[in-house]
Amino acid sequence: MTDKATPAKSGKNPKSSKDPFANVPHEPGAPKMDKIIVADHVKRRFGGLTAVDVAHFEVQRNAITALIGPNGAGKSTFFNLLTGFDRPQEGEWSFNGFSLHSKSPAQVARSGMVRTFQLTKALSRMTVMENMRLGAAQQVGENFFRALFPALWRKQEAEITAKAEELLVRFKLDAKKNDYAGELSGGQRKLLEMARALMSDPEIVMLDEPMAGVNPALTESLLDHIVELKKEGVTVLFVEHDMHMVRRISDWVVVMAEGKIIAEGPPDTVMANAAVQDAYLGSHHDTDLFEER
Amino acid sequence: MTTIHDRRVWLRAIVVLVLAAAAITVFSVLVADSAQAADVATHAVAADAGTDDVTTTDATTTTGGSGRVLQAVVNGLIFGSLLALASVGLSLIYGTTGLSNFAHGEQVSFGAVLTYFLVADDVSLPLIPGTFGIGIPLIPAALLAVAISAGTGWLQDKFLWSPLRRRRVGIVQQMIVSIGLSLAMLNMLQWWMGGGRMRLTTSIADRLQIGPVQISTQTLWSVLIAILCLLGVSYFLLRTRLGRATRAVSDNPALASASGIKVESIIRLVWILAAGLAGLGGILLGLYEQGTAFDAGARLLLLMFAAVTLGGLGQPFGALVGSLVIGLVAELSTLWLPADLKVATALVILIGVLLVRPQGILGRAERVG
Amino acid sequence: MDFADLFTDAGREIFAPTTAAFALAAIGLNFHFGLTGLLNMGHAGFMLVGMYGYAITVREGGGMVLGLIVAMLLAVVFGLILGWPTLKLRGDYLAIVTIAAAEFVRFLGRSSVMKNITGGSTGIRGSDYKEPFESLSPFPSEQITIGPFTMHGTASTSWFLVLVGWSVVGLFALLFWRLSNSPWGRVLKGIREDEDAVRSLGKNVYAYKMQALVIGGVIGALGGVLWSFSAAVQPDSMGRPTTFWLWTLLLLGGAATVFGPILGSIIFWTALVLVRSLAAMFIPETWMAATEREPFSLVLVGVTLMLLVIFRPQGILGNRRELAIND
Repeated sequence: MTDKATPAKSGKNPKSSKDPFANVPHEPGAPKMDKIIVADHVKRRFGGLTAVDVAHFEVQRNAITALIGPNGAGKSTFFNLLTGFDRPQEGEWSFNGFSLHSKSPAQVARSGMVRTFQLTKALSRMTVMENMRLGAAQQVGENFFRALFPALWRKQEAEITAKAEELLVRFKLDAKKNDYAGELSGGQRKLLEMARALMSDPEIVMLDEPMAGVNPALTESLLDHIVELKKEGVTVLFVEHDMHMVRRISDWVVVMAEGKIIAEGPPDTVMANAAVQDAYLGSHHDTDLFEER
Repeated sequence: MTTIHDRRVWLRAIVVLVLAAAAITVFSVLVADSAQAADVATHAVAADAGTDDVTTTDATTTTGGSGRVLQAVVNGLIFGSLLALASVGLSLIYGTTGLSNFAHGEQVSFGAVLTYFLVADDVSLPLIPGTFGIGIPLIPAALLAVAISAGTGWLQDKFLWSPLRRRRVGIVQQMIVSIGLSLAMLNMLQWWMGGGRMRLTTSIADRLQIGPVQISTQTLWSVLIAILCLLGVSYFLLRTRLGRATRAVSDNPALASASGIKVESIIRLVWILAAGLAGLGGILLGLYEQGTAFDAGARLLLLMFAAVTLGGLGQPFGALVGSLVIGLVAELSTLWLPADLKVATALVILIGVLLVRPQGILGRAERVG
Repeated sequence: MDFADLFTDAGREIFAPTTAAFALAAIGLNFHFGLTGLLNMGHAGFMLVGMYGYAITVREGGGMVLGLIVAMLLAVVFGLILGWPTLKLRGDYLAIVTIAAAEFVRFLGRSSVMKNITGGSTGIRGSDYKEPFESLSPFPSEQITIGPFTMHGTASTSWFLVLVGWSVVGLFALLFWRLSNSPWGRVLKGIREDEDAVRSLGKNVYAYKMQALVIGGVIGALGGVLWSFSAAVQPDSMGRPTTFWLWTLLLLGGAATVFGPILGSIIFWTALVLVRSLAAMFIPETWMAATEREPFSLVLVGVTLMLLVIFRPQGILGNRRELAIND
């Protein structure tokens, strides 16, 4: 495939003049040129355990950033905090300069930051098409009173359907559009979830372990889709276990361990970082054990 | 939890409780107060307060204020410990299987009704004409009834719940199945025994007067047995291998299974234990309330749920704490509310607590994500 | 009693006002459970609230329109109070709180404290509140026979009530169809499948759940009012069994379908009458006394509910394909 080379290129040999990361220091909490997310002093404790303790964190706009780390590093919790699905004890974080502190998950999503889940949340007893339509934002007919009068929302519904068809073709799910989402394979559900997230034209897509449970045949196309997103101007932040995937597509890698960010940098530099290797080796035992689930 | 969140939750709780209190006060004022005063006096001393209409008989012993409070506290603790016996099983089942078992009330009734069946001398069976009597003395009858109750727990799990779990029937569906079972069992009991009130023993118990508090010997024995059994259950859960395994399953079934605990056998055991304890609870309550009925447990079901939720769903010791709280609240409420609102008060408390601490008194906040 | 009577009795249940009342209440429950997946175990409470609201308003001279408005408003308030603390918690909390709240309403209604308002455990007599409704009847005030069925024209369980009852049921079935096939209904179905997914798509899940709870509750209250026209306002007729019957007939017909509640209600009541009559015809009195037939038939209801949920959770009208997806 032709795309195959592209991600590697954007990660490894960017044209230096256009590389937004050219002047970014390779250190935790590094400032970015054009930041879309900024988080400060975000702390989340469960009882006595501090799951997340991030001093400073920035995400570069229109780039693919990977959030990696050994199991129990707090990546998913941090993700939940950023997207409003969990609340930290302290901290401040913003999206496009707009504070997300004490915003609900729905408000976060409406502001243009849409997420997917590690355990795919396809809506089983709804068709693929209905799943897609649900993803569209600002629907007139979602108001109870206006729902009663189809004349008010029929036109918008047709537009949404057209857009959904287009995305389904792109994600090769168009043949399945009238099937129930519960009838899809695990990988297809991942695709559907990603396509559904795009229905609202988000500025940033947050993918929680997009490769988990996907069969190898589909991972390639999933990777391509992620790279495709970037080309369209969407920012991507994703949590991943699989280092090969991270190396393939990401422009920038952030490493977490024990709730803190311990390293940042381009994929190759980060993998060579001693602190990162320590963190992984130190808990390598766990990583193997849990990957089977 | 953040402080802002906390404050909002407290605010909500206070608003609801104040509204409820205001509503109840307004309603009380609307009624002729003379009749009510007499009501309260009678029911402060009457151990048995059915939910039937209270149309005041005679205001006999209007003891001093502190005496009434003390009596209510004692009654509350008695009722609470008997309730705990019935609800511990409900909590164990929830903890190990995730099922809110709506048929647990019928298990309570079953124990009591079965005891009556074994004791009385004019009973019948459905579809079989004529009456007969078995006429075993109360204590062996009760023991037999508890054993048979425990047996129904085994039967139920073996032929109903275990197959459902194996078929991976969802927890909501299982809950609706338990509702169907409750409906079937409730009416089965009515069909079997009729709608009348059944007295487990005809002997009239002596009343002991300890300071300002009255208590019958029969009740004293019931409470003693209940406390012994609760201690036994606690010992089992805390000190024995099986008990620790049970708590492990309750905590995290997947992990328990991975560490070599036979989850299915533990669940079977929990069902046996829960049904047996519920049966015993039913018998003791039947003694305490001087009679039982086919729907005795059904009427108790909500209080059991309230107790279990209050204590923290799935926490066996939570059920204990919750039951005592519910018992106390219900009995103390009779000091200034008519006795037929006893249950209603307990339910308002349940809703209030859910607002402040949805995980219950002993429960832990759930980790998200 | 012979077979002709048996079939007349059973046939009457197909269109009886009580059947319509339960169908209407079940449409409300369908908004809760069928569309949104809310475990409302206290639907009888909504019905009772509606009945009290209507009957008391009319008895105090408020008139029929005001009575209906009060009934609906009370249901709205009841729904808001129930939903407020519980809709943010896991589903079974709603089940426990709704069942508790429904029983609370019943206990309060039958309490001696409320005797002046709700009539205590005896409730409110039909003659206190039925007059304004029955005065609207265009039918003569006498027994009218249509085919094998004889009913009064206007009073209580009347042809007029049959007409009004089923029109209302039809209207709300139409409403259900309209809403469940709208973007609004789509959000509710999404919530039924997975709340967090819907949250992640920017929908205010709490608000939608509240809307569903309130609209379903209001329909339940209207079902209660409809029921009270052919019976009386009696708190103990709206206990937990009533809620459980509603669940049975909803699941029987098929949750989330437009005609499920209606078909379910018809089959439920017809079957109940058939069972009782057949038991009376074929089981000798010495085996099963007349008083035992009621519990016997309800045992069958319970067993039916269990079997339905285990073997055919999608009900009669539900989609077979949905069953295959069991997660």
